Amino acid sequence: MKQAVIDAHNLSKIYDEDSIPVVALDHAQLHLNRGEFTAIKGPSGSGKTTLLNMIGGLDHPSSGYVEINGTNITKLHGNALIDFRLNNIGFVFQSYNLIPVLTAKENIEFIMLLQKIPAKQREMRVLELLKQVGLENKGDKRPGELSGGQQQRIAVARALASKPQFILADEPTANLDSVSATNLLDMMLKLNEEENMTFVFSTHDQRVISRARRVITLEDGKIVEDTAPAKITNGINLLE
Amino acid sequence: MILKIARRNIWRSKKRSLTLLLAISLGLWSGMFLIAFYNGMIEQRVNAAIQDEISHIQIHHPNFLNDHESRFIVPDAEKTIKLIKENSSVKAVAGRLILFGMIASPSGSTGIKINGIQTEAENKLTQLSSKLIDGHYFTPSKRNEIIIGQKLANKLKLNINKKTILTFQDTAGNLASAAFRIAGIFKTQNTPFDETNVFVNIEELDSLAGLKGGIHEIAVLLYSNNSLDSCLQRFKSVLPELEVKSWIEISPEIGITVSAGTQMVYIYMGIILLALTFGIINTMMMSVLERTREIGMLLALGMNKFKIFTMILWETCFLILAGCPVGMILAFITIAITHHTGIHLNNYSEVYANFGYSPVVYPNLNMDQLIKIIFMVIITALVSAIFPAQRALKIKPASAIKN
Ligand SMILES: Nc1ncnc2c1ncn2[C@@H]1O[C@H](COP(=O)(O)OP(=O)(O)O)[C@@H](O)[C@H]1O
Ligand SMILES: [Mg+2]
Repeated sequence: MKQAVIDAHNLSKIYDEDSIPVVALDHAQLHLNRGEFTAIKGPSGSGKTTLLNMIGGLDHPSSGYVEINGTNITKLHGNALIDFRLNNIGFVFQSYNLIPVLTAKENIEFIMLLQKIPAKQREMRVLELLKQVGLENKGDKRPGELSGGQQQRIAVARALASKPQFILADEPTANLDSVSATNLLDMMLKLNEEENMTFVFSTHDQRVISRARRVITLEDGKIVEDTAPAKITNGINLLE
Repeated sequence: MILKIARRNIWRSKKRSLTLLLAISLGLWSGMFLIAFYNGMIEQRVNAAIQDEISHIQIHHPNFLNDHESRFIVPDAEKTIKLIKENSSVKAVAGRLILFGMIASPSGSTGIKINGIQTEAENKLTQLSSKLIDGHYFTPSKRNEIIIGQKLANKLKLNINKKTILTFQDTAGNLASAAFRIAGIFKTQNTPFDETNVFVNIEELDSLAGLKGGIHEIAVLLYSNNSLDSCLQRFKSVLPELEVKSWIEISPEIGITVSAGTQMVYIYMGIILLALTFGIINTMMMSVLERTREIGMLLALGMNKFKIFTMILWETCFLILAGCPVGMILAFITIAITHHTGIHLNNYSEVYANFGYSPVVYPNLNMDQLIKIIFMVIITALVSAIFPAQRALKIKPASAIKN
């Protein structure tokens, strides 16, 4: 069996445990392998963000644990967890992804600087990444001068910059028009195919879901459906 | 890069940063100017006390300052004065005969200090003649002349050429009275001094008191206060049987004025800086809270807490460090100008004079104070930077990023 990049065991998250408890995640079980391109779908409030936060090490589960490449990150806290995220997980958020006072280039470089990568290497990689996301000529623009779609592309480039195990994207297209949304997804898909980069993203946009290789459906914090990647390679389109 | 982010973050909320910059520079400006002004006032007071009243050094019989009895005279006073004159640091020296007694006019009487002075030497020492606002200085040919202060003249309703009676104890212990004619009326910056001191010719007072050439006090004016300590030591060693005192010892209240004044200025500065600290903390807290989401994002990406802390710390420090030079330069300019022109407190000159202060103040700031101010500002910067930075560390990435 292939080693899982992400391995979530019996993940539960209950918010407001001492007043009115909300079960945001209910014994979720999840294995994601390297190179997968997975969408997590479900209605608003179904627990998508909660699940992504758990596997991204942004929050701790109430029970269960998450292993990333064999490391139990649920046991990590404080700066150890922050450093783990820095070196293993790439993030793309719905909005306000970029540091507004830095240019696109500097935003991408920033993450490598935190990783203490030498300047020469950083510079080369920034140019390469800008090319990959198709924004070679926007490197010196600040986020405020870029369109929503361009900002998200830069965010993807930054997520790639740290050479993470996988990239997590929580509703990356929620604030984009449909053209920008499909363009962003196509770009991510291309990176997935060419670089074998693992992507996990949440969405409730059908067009986005249709591009996923694997779709996990959440309802009331439970995983109710998981279309296996094997079936897609069989050429059967399970998506409506 | 963290420095770059911090620096650029300052300009995100231009209005707020400018307001804070303004507050810091104004605070520092006013604080430093206030200190300089206070310095000027104290220096003026001290200089006036030295120049007009006390001189730098006074020499007495060891018992005189305690008892003020007329028998405690300086032995061999003339020889001593000659000896002191030989010192190159000495600008002027004069002997005085001092008696405590009463002055009376038809409208009343009051206790006073009668200074029998060597008229020429005294004028070189305290420039008494330049302080006359009416009448003239002692005329060698005339007898029984007296110079009194304006305040006393008003109190006793005395005028030029009016007669007045001085009463005091002679060496034999008998009460002696003598009539004097008012030759001049003086006015110094120190009203209490004007009210309690009168001046007469030493020879006349001497013969009235029967002291036969006695001198109670030798006052020494130096060219500069810098040579005070060396002169003190020198005189103490050559005049072991006499009491040699500096102006600080003679007039401890002036010493207290100086030290209380120096403490006072730091309290002023402290209050200004404390107010600034609250302003800075408040502003930076707001700036941190407004950026909760962004800071959460940075934490999520992998910027560790130490770096976040440093970033906010730098932001605060940049703001303060940018405000300081502006405030300091403004302060230096204003102090330099007013130091040159002086500040005239015309409307309040009477009030100040009552406390012995001059109505014209020349602000100045010394190096020692400047270093202390800079030190205080740095402490302020650190203290006010720590709290907002601390606040940033409390941010949890998951809840900060929540849509
Ligand atoms: N910090 C929180 N405190 C309390 N309840 C929360 C918190 N975050 C999410 N929830 C609740 O948990 C459930 C799942 O939320 P979420 O994971 O954000 O869903 P989704 O991302 O699918 O919209 C919702 O009912 C939401 O109200
Ligand atoms: Mg969500």
